[in-house]
Amino acid sequence: MASVSEMYDVGWEEMRDKLRKWREENCRNSEQIVDVGEELISEHASKLGDDIWIIYEQVMIAALDCSRDDLALTCLQELEKQFSDSHRVKRLSGMRLEALERYDEANKDYDAILQDDPTNTAARKRKISILKAQGKSAEAIRELNEYLEMTHPQLYQSTYCFPCHFHSYGKAAFCLEELMMTNPHNHLYCEQYAEVKYTQGGLENLELSRKYFAQALRLNNRNMRALFGLYMSASHIAASPKVSAKVKKDNMKYAAWAATQINRAYKLAGRGTKENKCSMKAVEEMLESMQITMS
Amino acid sequence: MGEVELSCRAYVKMYLHCCLFPRCSINGLLLSSSTAGDAVCVTDCVPLLHSHLSLAPITQLALTQVDVWCSQTQQRIVGYYQANACVSDSSPTPCALKIADKISEQFENAVLLMLDGSKMSADYRVPPIVMYERKDSRWTLKDKHTIMLRQWEETRAIAGQMLDSGDHSLLVDFDSHLDDITKDWTNQKLNNKIAELASPANGSM
Repeated sequence: MASVSEMYDVGWEEMRDKLRKWREENCRNSEQIVDVGEELISEHASKLGDDIWIIYEQVMIAALDCSRDDLALTCLQELEKQFSDSHRVKRLSGMRLEALERYDEANKDYDAILQDDPTNTAARKRKISILKAQGKSAEAIRELNEYLEMTHPQLYQSTYCFPCHFHSYGKAAFCLEELMMTNPHNHLYCEQYAEVKYTQGGLENLELSRKYFAQALRLNNRNMRALFGLYMSASHIAASPKVSAKVKKDNMKYAAWAATQINRAYKLAGRGTKENKCSMKAVEEMLESMQITMS
Repeated sequence: MGEVELSCRAYVKMYLHCCLFPRCSINGLLLSSSTAGDAVCVTDCVPLLHSHLSLAPITQLALTQVDVWCSQTQQRIVGYYQANACVSDSSPTPCALKIADKISEQFENAVLLMLDGSKMSADYRVPPIVMYERKDSRWTLKDKHTIMLRQWEETRAIAGQMLDSGDHSLLVDFDSHLDDITKDWTNQKLNNKIAELASPANGSM
């Protein structure tokens, strides 16, 4: 089988730089990382200098993702030789045990880290991941709460997905509120928050969801989910018997505006490609049919 | 309850959807282009989401759009499929039951199909699917003998072949469509590829 350097005509420096780029962008393209990293390590290790350690870490995690325990173990052993007492390497050892579904042993590793350093957030996150993988939702949520009480902003990032997964929309909303406070320009958080509110339902939540879909659009007017979300939330509010005539009128305006934007976006997308004619027509008809039910 | 037949096209697309997002829970809708009596013939599927399956707006949007497309193309929504991110648990989640309930309001013989991630490797010769039907307002396991996959070996071979050649990256689900609306969630390109591989004129089959 051809090597990566042969197939793509790249030298070892380019491979090393690519790995760095993927690290910095936090990409989870594990198959690629394994292909490039494995070759780099086996053929150019001596040229990498101190970079080799972070590459071992990156390749090890990618290898776990691809069920390449052989490669993961090799990387881990090199790291353990070099950094024998490191918490960071212990966490990697725990991750490997997790991948092999040896959860009790993995927890032992993480507990050892936390005993030494109770503020180690990485170890806490791994413990919660294990609970999630085992389907222990109640315990996972409990651990999550304890964890969030330490008010560490970066935690919310990866944790709002968990409450959603377990249908705790209230908690998901709470996490997203914290995220929006620290990242006010992030349209994705606004849009996700709006989706959670919409899901929770009820007139008040629908109105909140409409506001946040609108806010997401202000931050990024190409966010299609926000555009559709605005259309749907405004339409539902307008159709509700509980709202005043003014609120109904306002929301019909918002919905109409959103519909125009959606149509325009699809017309633009449809130019030049025959491919998405079906999806375009579906959107057109859908917008028409929803208009009819509203009036 | 009657028999359910799963077509090659529907199975291959579900399989490729799972392979495209191996770390996510994924879901989609099962469609039928025929209404032959009691038997349900699943002729196609539309892959929907690979993130935040339990959030309502995008699911509602997708259901409405697929509904409209179905009425334009003489098809109907006859079921729902899901594969859980957690491979060791292939039981239907609350959101799966909710969506399946909604579908059964419009189609009595609706089916709920769960893909079993732990049985998807090449060594397994049996379809990695678990099907549920609605009996007395509850979703119960369907008798395996009423589930048919004609030419299963061929279907399995096509799925494996397409995965090996990287064709799963061609699959567009509704989530991906919303990220880039020039992408086609009806997957006409992929359908054509599957048809080519399945046609008897193809010597290797």
